[in-house]
Amino acid sequence: MLPLSLLKAAQDNPMLVELKNGETYNGHLVSCDNWMNIQLKEVICTSRDGDRFWKMPECFIRGSMIKYLRIPDEVIDKVKEEAFKPRGPRPGGGPRRGGGGGRGGASRGRGGRPRGGGGGHKK
Amino acid sequence: MALSSIEPYVNRSVSIITGDGRVIVGTLKGFDQTVNIILSNSHERVYSSSSGVEQVQLGLYIIRGDNIAVIGELDEELDSEINLNDIRAEPLNPVVH
Amino acid sequence: MAASAPPDKKRRETLLSAELGKYLDKRIRVKFQGGRETSGILKGYDQLLNLVLDGAIEYLQDPKDQFKLTDETRSLGLVVCRGTAVVLICPADTMEPIANPFLQQEPS
Repeated sequence: MLPLSLLKAAQDNPMLVELKNGETYNGHLVSCDNWMNIQLKEVICTSRDGDRFWKMPECFIRGSMIKYLRIPDEVIDKVKEEAFKPRGPRPGGGPRRGGGGGRGGASRGRGGRPRGGGGGHKK
Repeated sequence: MALSSIEPYVNRSVSIITGDGRVIVGTLKGFDQTVNIILSNSHERVYSSSSGVEQVQLGLYIIRGDNIAVIGELDEELDSEINLNDIRAEPLNPVVH
Repeated sequence: MAASAPPDKKRRETLLSAELGKYLDKRIRVKFQGGRETSGILKGYDQLLNLVLDGAIEYLQDPKDQFKLTDETRSLGLVVCRGTAVVLICPADTMEPIANPFLQQEPS
């Protein structure tokens, strides 16, 4: 499964994005492209140190600035439904069964765990 | 060439060290040409020199290739024998560009 | 989406111009690599994310911490922003500081 296929399947889902500058953005994915540029809506931005917050209705983020994305567990099951076609040279790269997916609803969606610059807690 | 050496890790437990010095363990679900990777059921292991390893549940993650320093297969048997509460280690420093 | 999407170039074009077009003649906030932030009225752009901003203001960085902004600003006037350095774009006037929203959200 390709990371960008998963990201495309995650459209309309909430997610947490951490940027290389340590800021995190929580919002719903509106769209993404092959550069991993993303558009979010209903966004909450958390500063690098984790104690300042901003809200914005929408924003556009350059893909190359992303460190990682945290996506709801269920999304991985949607990728298969959408009959994705692997573009890369990946013979036998058929859909795989999602091992033990769909757990950990408890910690979902709280975000705001920026650890970029040490995150304050625990040294 | 080197990329294809990641293929055997798919659907296996892997340990990732990121550019910002985190250690993330999870099941590798996929990757692409730029080594962006998908990890499912992932957790972060936060090392500390004063207390045991704290494990933070992360769930489904896409990590961008730029931010990956090391990908290694996790020997689950060996790993389960390690008592993470007893491990004391300095956290890794981020990569300096 | 758009399964039969033509080459990559097209996709990016679609995303960016659709997105930036609606900001034309509106004030946007732009964050750059390295921590600079500006706002200005979007007068033009291209697919590489180069931007033309009018009435631009720079929000000055804290000299001790490049990741913190001070309340000070300086006026830049009409500027071209290099696309490669652009990290984030959002409408300027809708961005507002809020209290920690993750504390009370826990239960949901």
